[in-house]
Amino acid sequence: MIKAINITKEYRTEGRVHRAVSDVSFTVARGEKLAVLGRNGAGKSTLIRLLGGVELPTSGAIEQNMSVSWPLALQGGFQGSLTGNDNMRFIARIYDKPFDDIKAYVDDFAELGKYLSEPLKIYSIGMRARFAFALSLAIDFDCYLIDEVIAAGDQRFQRRSHEELFEKRVDRSLILASHMGEIIKSYCSRALVLHHGQGNLIGDIDLALQVYNDL
Amino acid sequence: MGKFREDLATQWRVIGALLIREIYTRFGREGLGFGWIIGEPLIFAVPVLLVWSAVRAPYEHGVPMMPMVWTGYLPILLFRHIGGRMLMFIRANAGLLYHRQVTIFDIYLARCILEVASNSTAVVASFALFYSVGLLDPPLDLSMFYLGYFYTIWWSAAVGLIIGGLSERSDWVEKIWTPFSYLYMFFSGFIFMAAWLPPAVRGWALYMPSLQAYEMIRAGMFGATVKTYGDPGYITLALGVLTLIGLQIMRESRKYVVAE
Repeated sequence: MIKAINITKEYRTEGRVHRAVSDVSFTVARGEKLAVLGRNGAGKSTLIRLLGGVELPTSGAIEQNMSVSWPLALQGGFQGSLTGNDNMRFIARIYDKPFDDIKAYVDDFAELGKYLSEPLKIYSIGMRARFAFALSLAIDFDCYLIDEVIAAGDQRFQRRSHEELFEKRVDRSLILASHMGEIIKSYCSRALVLHHGQGNLIGDIDLALQVYNDL
Repeated sequence: MGKFREDLATQWRVIGALLIREIYTRFGREGLGFGWIIGEPLIFAVPVLLVWSAVRAPYEHGVPMMPMVWTGYLPILLFRHIGGRMLMFIRANAGLLYHRQVTIFDIYLARCILEVASNSTAVVASFALFYSVGLLDPPLDLSMFYLGYFYTIWWSAAVGLIIGGLSERSDWVEKIWTPFSYLYMFFSGFIFMAAWLPPAVRGWALYMPSLQAYEMIRAGMFGATVKTYGDPGYITLALGVLTLIGLQIMRESRKYVVAE
Protein backbone atom coordinates (compact mmCIF):
# COMPACT_ATOMS: atom_id res chain seq x y z
CA MET A 1 0.00 0.00 0.00
CA ILE A 2 1.10 3.54 -0.69
CA LYS A 3 -0.70 6.36 1.02
CA ALA A 4 -0.50 10.08 0.27
CA ILE A 5 -1.79 12.23 3.11
CA ASN A 6 -2.54 15.89 2.37
CA ILE A 7 0.59 16.41 0.32
CA THR A 8 1.43 19.90 -0.86
CA LYS A 9 4.46 20.97 -2.87
CA GLU A 10 5.46 24.59 -3.35
CA TYR A 11 8.26 26.06 -5.42
CA ARG A 12 9.72 29.51 -5.08
CA THR A 13 10.30 31.08 -8.48
CA GLU A 14 11.18 34.72 -9.11
CA GLY A 15 10.21 35.57 -5.57
CA ARG A 16 6.73 34.09 -5.87
CA VAL A 17 5.40 30.90 -4.37
CA HIS A 18 3.97 28.48 -6.89
CA ARG A 19 1.86 25.63 -5.55
CA ALA A 20 2.35 22.67 -7.89
CA VAL A 21 0.49 20.10 -5.80
CA SER A 22 -2.16 21.23 -3.37
CA ASP A 23 -3.43 19.10 -0.50
CA VAL A 24 -3.73 15.82 -2.39
CA SER A 25 -4.66 12.58 -0.59
CA PHE A 26 -5.20 9.07 -1.90
CA THR A 27 -4.36 5.42 -1.26
CA VAL A 28 -3.19 2.81 -3.72
CA ALA A 29 -3.56 -0.78 -2.54
CA ARG A 30 -1.41 -3.69 -3.67
CA GLY A 31 -2.32 -4.65 -7.23
CA GLU A 32 -4.28 -1.48 -7.85
CA LYS A 33 -3.71 0.61 -10.97
CA LEU A 34 -4.21 4.34 -10.59
CA ALA A 35 -4.11 6.84 -13.44
CA VAL A 36 -3.00 10.42 -12.88
CA LEU A 37 -4.69 12.67 -15.43
CA GLY A 38 -4.20 16.34 -16.02
CA ARG A 39 -3.14 18.93 -18.54
CA ASN A 40 0.47 20.04 -18.96
CA GLY A 41 1.59 21.76 -15.78
CA ALA A 42 -1.26 20.35 -13.67
CA GLY A 43 1.24 18.75 -11.26
CA LYS A 44 1.38 15.15 -12.57
CA SER A 45 5.15 14.86 -12.80
CA THR A 46 5.63 16.67 -9.50
CA LEU A 47 3.27 14.23 -7.81
CA ILE A 48 5.13 11.25 -9.31
CA ARG A 49 8.48 12.64 -8.12
CA LEU A 50 7.10 13.16 -4.62
CA LEU A 51 5.82 9.57 -4.54
CA GLY A 52 9.23 8.38 -5.70
CA GLY A 53 10.98 10.30 -2.93
CA VAL A 54 13.00 12.36 -5.43
CA GLU A 55 11.65 15.60 -4.01
CA LEU A 56 10.19 16.13 -0.58
CA PRO A 57 6.68 17.53 -0.02
CA THR A 58 6.43 20.99 1.54
CA SER A 59 3.80 19.57 3.87
CA GLY A 60 1.93 16.30 4.26
CA ALA A 61 3.29 12.78 4.29
CA ILE A 62 3.71 9.73 2.08
CA GLU A 63 3.53 6.31 3.71
CA GLN A 64 4.36 3.07 1.98
CA ASN A 65 4.77 -0.54 2.94
CA MET A 66 5.74 -1.90 -0.46
CA SER A 67 8.74 -1.30 -2.67
CA VAL A 68 8.11 1.60 -5.03
CA SER A 69 10.08 2.07 -8.23
CA TRP A 70 11.93 5.25 -9.10
CA PRO A 71 9.81 7.52 -11.33
CA LEU A 72 10.07 6.22 -14.87
CA ALA A 73 10.13 9.44 -16.81
CA LEU A 74 11.73 10.80 -19.95
CA GLN A 75 14.58 12.12 -17.88
CA GLY A 76 16.15 11.50 -14.53
CA GLY A 77 17.61 8.49 -12.83
CA PHE A 78 20.50 7.93 -15.19
CA GLN A 79 23.82 9.45 -16.13
CA GLY A 80 23.79 10.56 -19.77
CA SER A 81 27.56 10.50 -20.18
CA LEU A 82 27.78 6.86 -19.08
CA THR A 83 26.95 3.91 -21.33
CA GLY A 84 23.83 1.81 -20.96
CA ASN A 85 26.00 -0.96 -19.50
CA ASP A 86 27.64 1.34 -16.94
CA ASN A 87 24.25 2.71 -15.92
CA MET A 88 23.04 -0.87 -15.49
CA ARG A 89 26.11 -1.70 -13.40
CA PHE A 90 25.40 1.27 -11.15
CA ILE A 91 21.74 0.29 -10.72
CA ALA A 92 22.71 -3.35 -10.11
CA ARG A 93 25.11 -2.25 -7.38
CA ILE A 94 22.77 0.07 -5.52
CA TYR A 95 19.81 -2.32 -5.70
CA ASP A 96 22.07 -5.27 -4.86
CA LYS A 97 21.11 -7.42 -7.87
CA PRO A 98 23.45 -9.51 -10.02
CA PHE A 99 24.52 -7.48 -13.06
CA ASP A 100 24.37 -10.46 -15.42
CA ASP A 101 20.68 -11.13 -14.68
CA ILE A 102 19.80 -7.49 -15.18
CA LYS A 103 21.78 -7.25 -18.37
CA ALA A 104 20.12 -10.39 -19.78
CA TYR A 105 16.65 -9.09 -19.00
CA VAL A 106 17.25 -5.58 -20.36
CA ASP A 107 18.88 -7.01 -23.46
CA ASP A 108 15.84 -9.13 -24.16
CA PHE A 109 13.17 -6.59 -23.31
CA ALA A 110 14.58 -3.30 -24.55
CA GLU A 111 16.18 -4.76 -27.71
CA LEU A 112 18.89 -2.11 -27.72
CA GLY A 113 21.68 -4.45 -28.89
CA LYS A 114 25.02 -2.72 -29.33
CA TYR A 115 23.57 0.59 -28.15
CA LEU A 116 24.05 -0.67 -24.61
CA SER A 117 27.75 0.13 -24.96
CA GLU A 118 27.00 3.69 -26.10
CA PRO A 119 26.47 6.69 -23.80
CA LEU A 120 22.83 7.17 -22.84
CA LYS A 121 22.81 10.73 -24.16
CA ILE A 122 22.81 9.51 -27.76
CA TYR A 123 19.66 7.40 -27.23
CA SER A 124 16.41 8.56 -28.80
CA ILE A 125 13.49 9.25 -26.49
CA GLY A 126 11.94 5.90 -27.39
CA MET A 127 15.18 4.02 -26.72
CA ARG A 128 15.58 5.75 -23.40
CA ALA A 129 12.03 4.86 -22.44
CA ARG A 130 12.67 1.21 -23.34
CA PHE A 131 15.91 1.19 -21.38
CA ALA A 132 14.44 2.77 -18.23
CA PHE A 133 11.37 0.57 -18.31
CA ALA A 134 13.28 -2.66 -18.88
CA LEU A 135 15.71 -1.82 -16.10
CA SER A 136 12.94 -1.16 -13.57
CA LEU A 137 11.19 -4.41 -14.53
CA ALA A 138 14.50 -6.22 -14.03
CA ILE A 139 14.79 -4.84 -10.50
CA ASP A 140 11.23 -5.96 -9.80
CA PHE A 141 9.20 -3.55 -7.64
CA ASP A 142 5.78 -3.93 -5.97
CA CYS A 143 4.65 -0.60 -7.36
CA TYR A 144 5.68 1.16 -10.56
CA LEU A 145 5.61 4.93 -10.96
CA ILE A 146 5.32 5.77 -14.62
CA ASP A 147 5.38 9.28 -16.01
CA GLU A 148 4.40 9.14 -19.69
CA VAL A 149 7.25 6.87 -20.83
CA ILE A 150 5.06 4.09 -22.19
CA ALA A 151 3.62 6.51 -24.72
CA ALA A 152 7.16 7.31 -25.91
CA GLY A 153 7.85 3.79 -27.10
CA ASP A 154 6.74 2.17 -30.33
CA GLN A 155 3.80 -0.26 -30.75
CA ARG A 156 5.84 -3.36 -30.07
CA PHE A 157 7.25 -1.87 -26.86
CA GLN A 158 3.78 -0.81 -25.72
CA ARG A 159 2.46 -4.32 -26.34
CA ARG A 160 5.30 -5.94 -24.44
CA SER A 161 5.00 -3.46 -21.54
CA HIS A 162 1.36 -4.32 -21.26
CA GLU A 163 2.23 -8.01 -21.27
CA GLU A 164 4.85 -7.61 -18.55
CA LEU A 165 2.72 -5.42 -16.30
CA PHE A 166 -0.61 -7.19 -16.72
CA GLU A 167 -0.03 -10.80 -17.58
CA LYS A 168 3.15 -11.50 -15.65
CA ARG A 169 2.71 -8.99 -12.81
CA VAL A 170 -1.03 -8.74 -12.14
CA ASP A 171 -0.40 -8.35 -8.42
CA ARG A 172 1.77 -5.24 -8.83
CA SER A 173 0.54 -1.71 -8.32
CA LEU A 174 0.86 1.02 -10.86
CA ILE A 175 0.62 4.78 -10.76
CA LEU A 176 0.57 6.05 -14.29
CA ALA A 177 0.63 9.70 -15.32
CA SER A 178 -0.42 10.27 -18.89
CA HIS A 179 -2.79 12.19 -21.09
CA MET A 180 -3.23 9.37 -23.55
CA GLY A 181 -6.80 8.15 -23.05
CA GLU A 182 -6.15 4.84 -24.81
CA ILE A 183 -3.22 3.92 -22.59
CA ILE A 184 -5.05 4.97 -19.44
CA LYS A 185 -8.09 2.88 -20.36
CA SER A 186 -6.07 -0.24 -21.05
CA TYR A 187 -4.08 0.04 -17.79
CA CYS A 188 -6.05 1.66 -15.00
CA SER A 189 -9.20 1.19 -12.97
CA ARG A 190 -9.27 4.50 -11.10
CA ALA A 191 -8.02 7.99 -11.77
CA LEU A 192 -6.80 11.03 -9.93
CA VAL A 193 -7.61 14.06 -12.05
CA LEU A 194 -5.29 16.97 -11.28
CA HIS A 195 -6.20 20.54 -12.05
CA HIS A 196 -4.00 23.41 -10.88
CA GLY A 197 -2.46 21.03 -8.36
CA GLN A 198 -5.75 19.96 -6.81
CA GLY A 199 -6.79 16.35 -6.99
CA ASN A 200 -10.14 14.75 -7.74
CA LEU A 201 -10.29 11.00 -7.21
CA ILE A 202 -12.71 9.28 -9.60
CA GLY A 203 -13.55 5.58 -9.44
CA ASP A 204 -14.71 5.24 -13.04
CA ILE A 205 -12.15 5.62 -15.80
CA ASP A 206 -14.59 6.71 -18.51
CA LEU A 207 -16.00 9.36 -16.23
CA ALA A 208 -12.48 10.46 -15.27
CA LEU A 209 -11.52 10.85 -18.94
CA GLN A 210 -14.71 12.84 -19.47
CA VAL A 211 -13.81 15.16 -16.59
CA TYR A 212 -10.27 15.50 -17.94
CA ASN A 213 -11.51 16.30 -21.45
CA ASP A 214 -13.82 18.99 -20.09
CA LEU A 215 -10.98 20.77 -18.22
CA MET B 1 20.21 -4.18 15.43
CA GLY B 2 19.76 -6.35 12.31
CA LYS B 3 17.99 -3.46 10.61
CA PHE B 4 20.78 -1.07 11.47
CA ARG B 5 23.42 -3.41 10.09
CA GLU B 6 21.39 -3.88 6.94
CA ASP B 7 21.11 -0.11 6.50
CA LEU B 8 24.83 0.25 7.03
CA ALA B 9 25.52 -2.44 4.43
CA THR B 10 23.22 -0.65 1.96
CA GLN B 11 24.98 2.62 2.60
CA TRP B 12 28.41 1.15 1.98
CA ARG B 13 27.18 -0.48 -1.21
CA VAL B 14 25.70 2.81 -2.41
CA ILE B 15 28.84 4.79 -1.57
CA GLY B 16 30.95 2.18 -3.39
CA ALA B 17 28.71 2.40 -6.46
CA LEU B 18 28.86 6.21 -6.36
CA LEU B 19 32.65 6.13 -6.12
CA ILE B 20 32.94 3.95 -9.21
CA ARG B 21 30.45 6.12 -11.07
CA GLU B 22 32.28 9.29 -10.00
CA ILE B 23 35.59 7.89 -11.23
CA TYR B 24 34.09 6.96 -14.61
CA THR B 25 32.35 10.28 -15.12
CA ARG B 26 35.31 12.35 -13.96
CA PHE B 27 38.24 10.52 -15.43
CA GLY B 28 36.63 8.51 -18.22
CA ARG B 29 37.38 4.91 -19.00
CA GLU B 30 39.97 5.48 -21.72
CA GLY B 31 43.68 6.30 -21.47
CA LEU B 32 45.02 6.98 -17.99
CA GLY B 33 41.50 6.73 -16.51
CA PHE B 34 41.73 6.00 -12.81
CA GLY B 35 45.44 6.95 -12.91
CA TRP B 36 44.38 10.60 -13.06
CA ILE B 37 43.39 10.34 -9.44
CA ILE B 38 47.13 10.54 -8.65
CA GLY B 39 48.16 12.39 -11.80
CA GLU B 40 45.82 15.36 -11.45
CA PRO B 41 46.99 16.71 -8.08
CA LEU B 42 50.62 15.86 -8.87
CA ILE B 43 50.64 17.87 -12.09
CA PHE B 44 49.26 20.74 -10.05
CA ALA B 45 51.32 20.35 -6.91
CA VAL B 46 54.86 19.56 -8.05
CA PRO B 47 55.50 22.67 -10.22
CA VAL B 48 53.82 24.95 -7.67
CA LEU B 49 55.86 23.46 -4.82
CA LEU B 50 59.12 23.91 -6.76
CA VAL B 51 58.30 27.53 -7.68
CA TRP B 52 57.22 28.43 -4.14
CA SER B 53 60.33 26.99 -2.59
CA ALA B 54 62.52 28.63 -5.25
CA VAL B 55 61.19 32.16 -4.75
CA ARG B 56 61.32 32.04 -0.96
CA ALA B 57 64.49 32.14 1.13
CA PRO B 58 65.69 28.61 2.00
CA TYR B 59 65.08 29.32 5.70
CA GLU B 60 62.55 31.61 7.37
CA HIS B 61 62.48 31.96 11.17
CA GLY B 62 64.94 29.08 11.22
CA VAL B 63 62.52 26.77 9.42
CA PRO B 64 63.52 25.19 6.07
CA MET B 65 61.21 26.39 3.30
CA MET B 66 60.86 23.24 1.22
CA PRO B 67 59.19 21.10 3.94
CA MET B 68 57.25 24.19 5.05
CA VAL B 69 55.74 24.58 1.58
CA TRP B 70 55.27 20.84 1.10
CA THR B 71 53.33 20.48 4.37
CA GLY B 72 51.41 23.66 3.56
CA TYR B 73 50.34 23.37 -0.02
CA LEU B 74 48.75 19.92 -0.22
CA PRO B 75 46.23 20.68 2.56
CA ILE B 76 45.34 23.87 0.62
CA LEU B 77 44.62 21.75 -2.44
CA LEU B 78 42.44 19.39 -0.39
CA PHE B 79 40.47 22.25 1.14
CA ARG B 80 39.90 23.91 -2.22
CA HIS B 81 39.04 20.73 -4.05
CA ILE B 82 36.53 19.48 -1.50
CA GLY B 83 34.89 22.91 -1.29
CA GLY B 84 34.84 23.28 -5.05
CA ARG B 85 33.36 19.81 -5.58
CA MET B 86 30.56 20.56 -3.13
CA LEU B 87 29.34 23.76 -4.81
CA MET B 88 25.77 23.03 -5.94
CA PHE B 89 26.55 19.32 -5.82
CA ILE B 90 22.99 18.41 -4.85
CA ARG B 91 21.56 20.12 -7.91
CA ALA B 92 24.17 18.55 -10.16
CA ASN B 93 23.31 15.08 -8.86
CA ALA B 94 19.54 15.41 -8.59
CA GLY B 95 19.23 12.58 -11.12
CA LEU B 96 20.76 10.19 -8.59
CA LEU B 97 18.07 11.02 -6.06
CA TYR B 98 15.61 9.13 -8.28
CA HIS B 99 16.91 6.08 -6.47
CA ARG B 100 15.69 6.36 -2.94
CA GLN B 101 18.55 4.51 -1.30
CA VAL B 102 20.91 7.23 -2.56
CA THR B 103 20.98 10.15 -0.12
CA ILE B 104 22.71 13.49 -0.52
CA PHE B 105 24.91 12.39 2.36
CA ASP B 106 26.12 9.36 0.35
CA ILE B 107 26.97 11.60 -2.60
CA TYR B 108 28.80 13.98 -0.27
CA LEU B 109 30.78 11.15 1.32
CA ALA B 110 31.68 9.58 -2.02
CA ARG B 111 33.02 12.91 -3.27
CA CYS B 112 34.98 13.50 -0.06
CA ILE B 113 36.48 10.01 -0.14
CA LEU B 114 37.61 10.49 -3.74
CA GLU B 115 39.22 13.87 -2.97
CA VAL B 116 40.95 12.53 0.13
CA ALA B 117 42.20 9.47 -1.76
CA SER B 118 43.47 11.68 -4.55
CA ASN B 119 45.16 14.11 -2.16
CA SER B 120 46.72 11.39 0.00
CA THR B 121 48.26 9.65 -2.98
CA ALA B 122 49.64 13.02 -4.07
CA VAL B 123 51.15 13.49 -0.60
CA VAL B 124 52.85 10.12 -0.78
CA ALA B 125 53.93 10.43 -4.42
CA SER B 126 55.29 13.98 -4.06
CA PHE B 127 57.11 12.99 -0.88
CA ALA B 128 58.70 10.03 -2.67
CA LEU B 129 59.73 12.31 -5.53
CA PHE B 130 61.25 15.08 -3.38
CA TYR B 131 62.81 12.59 -0.98
CA SER B 132 64.51 10.72 -3.82
CA VAL B 133 66.18 13.93 -5.05
CA GLY B 134 67.16 14.98 -1.52
CA LEU B 135 64.78 17.96 -1.21
CA LEU B 136 62.77 16.55 1.68
CA ASP B 137 63.34 14.53 4.86
CA PRO B 138 60.71 12.24 6.38
CA PRO B 139 58.51 13.68 9.17
CA LEU B 140 60.22 13.29 12.57
CA ASP B 141 57.01 12.40 14.41
CA LEU B 142 54.84 10.46 12.00
CA SER B 143 51.82 9.96 14.29
CA MET B 144 51.61 13.71 14.96
CA PHE B 145 51.88 14.33 11.22
CA TYR B 146 48.96 11.95 10.58
CA LEU B 147 46.92 13.51 13.37
CA GLY B 148 47.39 16.94 11.79
CA TYR B 149 46.40 15.53 8.42
CA PHE B 150 43.34 13.89 9.92
CA TYR B 151 42.18 17.26 11.24
CA THR B 152 42.95 18.85 7.87
CA ILE B 153 40.63 16.31 6.22
CA TRP B 154 37.91 16.82 8.82
CA TRP B 155 38.15 20.61 8.55
CA SER B 156 37.95 20.53 4.74
CA ALA B 157 35.04 18.08 4.84
CA ALA B 158 33.15 20.16 7.43
CA VAL B 159 33.56 23.34 5.37
CA GLY B 160 32.52 21.35 2.29
CA LEU B 161 29.33 20.31 4.06
CA ILE B 162 28.45 23.93 4.87
CA ILE B 163 29.47 25.28 1.45
CA GLY B 164 27.59 22.47 -0.31
CA GLY B 165 24.40 23.10 1.64
CA LEU B 166 24.50 26.89 1.42
CA SER B 167 25.31 26.97 -2.30
CA GLU B 168 21.95 25.30 -2.97
CA ARG B 169 20.21 28.20 -1.28
CA SER B 170 22.06 31.25 -2.58
CA ASP B 171 24.08 32.00 -5.73
CA TRP B 172 26.30 34.24 -3.63
CA VAL B 173 28.08 31.27 -2.14
CA GLU B 174 29.51 30.14 -5.46
CA LYS B 175 30.68 33.67 -6.33
CA ILE B 176 32.33 34.19 -2.97
CA TRP B 177 33.95 30.77 -2.82
CA THR B 178 36.55 31.54 -5.53
CA PRO B 179 38.10 34.66 -3.93
CA PHE B 180 37.69 33.13 -0.49
CA SER B 181 39.52 29.93 -1.38
CA TYR B 182 42.32 32.04 -2.89
CA LEU B 183 42.69 34.34 0.12
CA TYR B 184 42.55 31.26 2.31
CA MET B 185 46.14 30.57 1.24
CA PHE B 186 47.26 33.58 3.25
CA PHE B 187 45.30 33.17 6.46
CA SER B 188 45.02 29.37 6.69
CA GLY B 189 48.49 28.84 8.13
CA PHE B 190 50.00 27.62 4.87
CA ILE B 191 52.84 30.16 4.84
CA PHE B 192 53.29 30.96 8.53
CA MET B 193 53.46 29.30 11.92
CA ALA B 194 51.71 30.45 15.07
CA ALA B 195 55.10 31.02 16.74
CA TRP B 196 55.95 33.72 14.17
CA LEU B 197 52.94 35.85 15.11
CA PRO B 198 52.92 38.53 17.81
CA PRO B 199 51.42 36.97 20.98
CA ALA B 200 48.32 39.21 20.85
CA VAL B 201 47.50 38.09 17.31
CA ARG B 202 48.43 34.47 17.97
CA GLY B 203 45.66 34.01 20.53
CA TRP B 204 43.06 34.99 17.94
CA ALA B 205 44.70 33.18 15.04
CA LEU B 206 44.57 29.89 16.93
CA TYR B 207 40.77 29.96 16.78
CA MET B 208 41.22 29.09 13.09
CA PRO B 209 40.93 25.30 12.81
CA SER B 210 43.18 25.12 9.76
CA LEU B 211 46.04 26.80 11.66
CA GLN B 212 45.56 24.28 14.47
CA ALA B 213 45.82 21.42 11.98
CA TYR B 214 48.89 22.99 10.36
CA GLU B 215 50.54 23.35 13.76
CA MET B 216 50.16 19.60 14.31
CA ILE B 217 51.36 18.68 10.83
CA ARG B 218 54.44 20.83 11.40
CA ALA B 219 54.99 19.47 14.87
CA GLY B 220 55.05 16.09 13.12
CA MET B 221 57.32 17.28 10.33
CA PHE B 222 59.90 19.18 12.37
CA GLY B 223 59.55 17.50 15.77
CA ALA B 224 60.89 19.41 18.75
CA THR B 225 63.03 21.69 16.55
CA VAL B 226 60.11 24.17 16.30
CA LYS B 227 57.57 25.50 18.78
CA THR B 228 53.96 24.66 17.86
CA TYR B 229 50.57 25.44 19.39
CA GLY B 230 48.22 22.66 18.25
CA ASP B 231 45.37 21.90 20.68
CA PRO B 232 43.49 18.66 19.81
CA GLY B 233 40.80 19.38 22.40
CA TYR B 234 39.91 22.74 20.89
CA ILE B 235 39.99 21.64 17.26
CA THR B 236 37.90 18.52 17.95
CA LEU B 237 35.25 20.67 19.61
CA ALA B 238 35.35 23.33 16.87
CA LEU B 239 35.09 20.79 14.04
CA GLY B 240 32.38 18.85 15.85
CA VAL B 241 30.27 22.00 16.07
CA LEU B 242 30.96 22.94 12.42
CA THR B 243 30.02 19.41 11.31
CA LEU B 244 26.72 19.53 13.18
CA ILE B 245 25.92 22.93 11.65
CA GLY B 246 26.85 21.59 8.21
CA LEU B 247 24.65 18.51 8.59
CA GLN B 248 21.70 20.68 9.56
CA ILE B 249 22.20 23.03 6.59
CA MET B 250 22.49 20.03 4.28
CA ARG B 251 19.30 18.47 5.64
CA GLU B 252 17.45 21.73 5.15
CA SER B 253 18.73 22.02 1.59
CA ARG B 254 17.33 18.61 0.68
CA LYS B 255 13.83 20.13 0.89
CA TYR B 256 14.69 22.58 -1.87
CA VAL B 257 16.04 20.05 -4.34
CA VAL B 258 14.30 20.38 -7.69
CA ALA B 259 14.85 17.32 -9.84
CA GLU B 260 15.45 17.51 -13.56
